[in-house]
Amino acid sequence: MSQSTLPSKSSLSRITNGFNSLPTGVQGFVNATIGMGILLFFWWVGGLLIANNPDTEAFAGFAPGSAFVALWALITNGELWGTIYSSLYRILNGLFWGIVIGVPVGILVGYFIRVRQIANMPLQFLRMISPLAWMPISVLAFESWDNAIIFLLVMATLWPILFGTAHGVQRIDPNWFKVARNLGADGYQMLRRIILPAIGQDVFAGIRLAIGVAWVVLVPAEYLGVTSGLGYAINDARDTLDYGKLAAVVVVIGAIGYMLDFIAVKLLKRYSWHAG
Amino acid sequence: MSYKASNVWIANLSHTFKKQVKPTLSDINLSIPKGQLTALIGRSGCGKSTLLQMIAGLMIPSDGAIRIGGHTVTKPSAKWNMMFQNPSLYPWMTVRESAALGLVFAGTYKDKKDKVEDLLDMVGLSELKDENVQKLSGGQQQRVALARSLATEPEVLLLDEPFSALDAFTRTTLQNEVAQICHDQGITMVMVTHDIDEAVAMADNVIIMSQNPGEIVGDLKVNFSYPRDRNSEEFIILKEKLFGEFEKIDQAKQKELLEMA
Repeated sequence: MSQSTLPSKSSLSRITNGFNSLPTGVQGFVNATIGMGILLFFWWVGGLLIANNPDTEAFAGFAPGSAFVALWALITNGELWGTIYSSLYRILNGLFWGIVIGVPVGILVGYFIRVRQIANMPLQFLRMISPLAWMPISVLAFESWDNAIIFLLVMATLWPILFGTAHGVQRIDPNWFKVARNLGADGYQMLRRIILPAIGQDVFAGIRLAIGVAWVVLVPAEYLGVTSGLGYAINDARDTLDYGKLAAVVVVIGAIGYMLDFIAVKLLKRYSWHAG
Repeated sequence: MSYKASNVWIANLSHTFKKQVKPTLSDINLSIPKGQLTALIGRSGCGKSTLLQMIAGLMIPSDGAIRIGGHTVTKPSAKWNMMFQNPSLYPWMTVRESAALGLVFAGTYKDKKDKVEDLLDMVGLSELKDENVQKLSGGQQQRVALARSLATEPEVLLLDEPFSALDAFTRTTLQNEVAQICHDQGITMVMVTHDIDEAVAMADNVIIMSQNPGEIVGDLKVNFSYPRDRNSEEFIILKEKLFGEFEKIDQAKQKELLEMA
């Protein structure tokens, strides 16, 4: 080994040590920035390859430069907010009904062995059907396109919430029920003071999964008849060959999906009683 | 704090579990005096915990009846509540919330907030009242369970080997404290244990049970004051007496079983 390599090695270890001495939050931020930088780099290289290939140069708008210009235009002309609002309205509606149906049914399935035995097979059967496979039925069953999309989102959010809740109830320490009964708890108090706090983490883990699935299902679901939302915006940009706008909407979908997941993780931590 | 202590009467109680032919408990007749600590002692499997769960209303006997005060026990109630071997605290609650739980269920917490504070003071957890129960040691958790049970002013407090999961030092300390509290407050307590030392250290009366089927085969009065010095001659004599009684009954039972075979 040549002597000239020694100083650079020691300076590398100094940098590493210096980085390790930073607060954990700062380290996390730096690492996340590096990760996004790598993603951006690959996107940029991909854009460059597309632009320099005569067969694909028509799609050069996918490159980061065009995408961010289009994104800025969407922000400044106000078009973006209406698009996001429509999609979030559908997602939150789908999630709301997923919770309203999934949590009580999950509690019943988790608590009563008989209900579990009766419901397990049909529920597992329904869970295996892709939410998008319900599209023809939802179009027939609902008068408005919006409601048809919300139905598809309910079919996406329901299963992770229902099974997460049922699993949480099944994991409750049987002694907790015994002690609560022993202290005079009635059915409502058992639900309110024991079951719901005990399964909080499982319910929010289910909601987190549900948000992920719903966000994936949203885009193809919004190809369905409606004239608003992020899925529609992608479809529209493709039809008008506006690839910069299409890439900009993809960026928005990723960013909002990340934010929704971030909120779900915060709620998960807030309602988790597990030590550490 | 006021505890309305009650006697416990058990009349002609027998119990056979489903899918079993031989009874687990047979012809139990017992009168447990109020304001005293009675220990049920016997080998593992003699049905003492089953009997305690029946007194708590958590199980219904095949035959016979249990009466506490003027009430026939048919279901669990905060009036006759139980402390288990595992404190079974709810990990999302603070010490205060845990101790107050029975009062919250009864809808009387707002009126009896001070009582929870007094009880936490009595069990030495005042300074930890806002801590999550997961941060407490095993002994501290059992103290919270004791405060939680006492907060509902039970007429009878049932203890199912409540100290057996604790280390020796904590166990001895808690045995002395609980016996003292029972004595000072005049609470009726029924405790299941297989530890002769624990029975003599805490109980006013010891009921001896045998197995196959579980039945009451002897009793012993323990008449000396709290706190009991475990090295005193009196304590050692009583312990040996109880042990002798236990062995004598055991041998008679073995002989009886051999003759039956």
